[in-house]
This record gives sequence, structure tokens and C-alpha cells, in this order.
Amino acid sequence: MTSQLTSAAISILLAGAILYLVRRDHMHGSYALWWLAIAAAILLLGVFPPVIDWLGQVSGISYPPILPIIVGIGMILIRMLRTDIDRSRQERQLRRLAQKLAILEQELGAARREVGNAAVGNPGRSRSAQVIPLPKSGDA
Amino acid sequence: MDIKLGESVPDTPAARRATLAVIPARNEAATVADIVRRTLVTGQCDVLVVDDASSDGTAALAQEAGATVITVPFSLGAWGATQTGMRYAQRNRYLTVLTLDADGQHHPEELPQMLTSLRRSGANVIIGTYSRRMSAARRLAGRYFRLLTRLNVQDFTSGLRAYDRRAVRALASREASLLDYQDMGVLMLLSKKGLILREVPTIMSPRRAGASRVFASWLLVARYMLHTTVLCFAQLGVRARIIVRAQPATGNTT
Repeated sequence: MTSQLTSAAISILLAGAILYLVRRDHMHGSYALWWLAIAAAILLLGVFPPVIDWLGQVSGISYPPILPIIVGIGMILIRMLRTDIDRSRQERQLRRLAQKLAILEQELGAARREVGNAAVGNPGRSRSAQVIPLPKSGDA
Repeated sequence: MDIKLGESVPDTPAARRATLAVIPARNEAATVADIVRRTLVTGQCDVLVVDDASSDGTAALAQEAGATVITVPFSLGAWGATQTGMRYAQRNRYLTVLTLDADGQHHPEELPQMLTSLRRSGANVIIGTYSRRMSAARRLAGRYFRLLTRLNVQDFTSGLRAYDRRAVRALASREASLLDYQDMGVLMLLSKKGLILREVPTIMSPRRAGASRVFASWLLVARYMLHTTVLCFAQLGVRARIIVRAQPATGNTT
């Protein structure tokens, strides 16, 4: 009976921590959903360990305790795969964003120089050089 | 998700510009100004130096020499910098892009010949090759990659190239953004899109300053080979349409 208490305590602690993090908005969208599902599974298996034995019987595994370990490792692998896919996607976005930023910075510099030159050629307007006329939104 | 902004230059024939030379540079203060001047002297192109987050004043020297300079906010690597140039060229409607290294191993005097080859040969990409500079290891690597990809290119790391508009469009795309070097990955992408590559023999010098980013140490070489092998593996099945060394000939595919 003590073993069941231990596993219940651990699972409640883990599920509680996940729930707290999700509620505090530390995880975004689908990540929160994933972790909530994990928390629910941990809670179920930790508080009612016989579920594992029953699952082992149903799936024909002669040593049921190995079942949650195998499933757990499988989940971790899937999660890591998704993380790497996400990271590659973000790397692509980050690189393209940096490139775009650099190009726009160059254009901004060129536009500023042009405006500066125009102000030098026309000193009467130099005080309003802070106002950069931009094309109307439809013009671009 | 990329932020879409209005194109700065309308795509009318009058707005199209001829040729842009893209020079990616990372800490090449010793040579960049000279290369920019010599490229401008050819009178065939505008010059864009993409400063790959240098710390030695490369950008200022290039600007002084007369180049347009784009400085990326953090190092994007040789290909990331070059692609920035491709995207700039696309945004400003350039018809042709030349690329050359800032370290002085490529001679800007070769650029007019590359442009002529591009125009006459009907190829989409011209690769400037200098076969004598290649060491035994590099040759072996070349043979290995040719076997792996069936791309018939002698000097697959050469950064001296001329691209037409279609090739620039392909290389400015998101698909090309996760590549790291302007080599096999770029060539495979181009041939996958059905573009024609051609090699033209050119003259090159040994590097004057700095060290090659790819072939710097054995560990780096091993990493590079592994990386490129994986890349080739991911692109397996690519068949190259290539014409090799028939210099100013009409375009016949093999």
C-alpha cells in the first residue's frame, strides 16, 4: 500500500507542477495541451497503478511495468523529433528575418541620406527634416 | 512566416537593372576595398558587399570604395550573406547576379567573361572554375560528391559564379535558406529546378589573407563532408542537367 502512496504523491506533484506552469502561461498553445495530457496520464497511472497491470494483460505484455517505460521513451522521442523540426523552421525564419532587416536597414539609410541631401539643397526646409514624406499606402 | 513588404521597385522593363556583383565578406578588411574598386572598374555591374557581421571595419572600407553595403545583424555564414545579396537583387529587379569572394582569390577582371558566357551559352548558372588550385583532398572530395549526386561539376566550392534571373529567384527562396555554403546544396537545388549549370575555366590566386572557411582544419573538413553527405542524401534522385567546359558554345544538354 505504501508503494501506491509514493507513486500517487509523485504523480500528483508532477501533474500539479505542469498544471501550475500551464496556468501561469509559460507554455504556448499546443505545448500546453500536450503537457496537460501528459499530466493527466501521470496522474491516472500514479494514483491507480492497477491500470498498468490491466493494460499489460490487454496488450499481452507479460511484464506490465515495462509498458509505461516503453511508452514514455517513445513519447520523449516523438517530442524531441518535433522540437528539432520546430527549431529548423525557426532557424529558417530567423535567418530570413535577419536578411530582411539588413536589407531594410540599407534602404532606410539610403532614404535618409537622400532626404538629408534634399534638406541641404533647400535650407528653408531643413527644420522639418524630421518629417519624412512616405508614399501613401496604395502607392507602393 | 516571412513578413511580406511591398516591393520597393515596380517590375517594369524600365525599372529592371542589369547586373549586381554580390561580395559576401567577413573580416576581409585587408582586401575588400581593392576587390570593390576592381569590380567597379569593369563597368559592367553595381557592387553590393554583404558584411557578415565583421568586427574589423570591412563595411566602412567597402562603402568608401564605392560599394553599397548591407550589414547583417549577426553572422549568417557565407551562404546566408550571399543569399541576402540574392534577395536584395530580386527586390531591386536585377537581371543577373555575379558572386565573388572578398579575399582576393577571385579576379574581378574575370567577371565580364563570365557575363558573356552566361549570355551566350544559354545556361542559367556559370561557375568559374580553377582546376589547378585544387588539392588532392579537394579533388577526392569532388569525386565523392559527383558520385553521390551525379552532378558533373569539377569545382563545387567555387564562389565565383554568375546567375540569371531564374537562378536568383530559386536561390532567394525559403527553400535555400537553411543551406550553409554556396556549394553542393546550392547546385543541387538549382538542378532540381531544372536550371542549366556550366563551368568556365578562370584564373584565380591563392588566398592572400584569412583562411578558407570550409577547408580550414581536418575536423572542419570532416564535419563539412558529413554535413554535405547528409544534404546529398536528402536530395537523392536529383539529376543534373549540366554542360561542362565547352566554353563559348551553344546550349546542348547532356
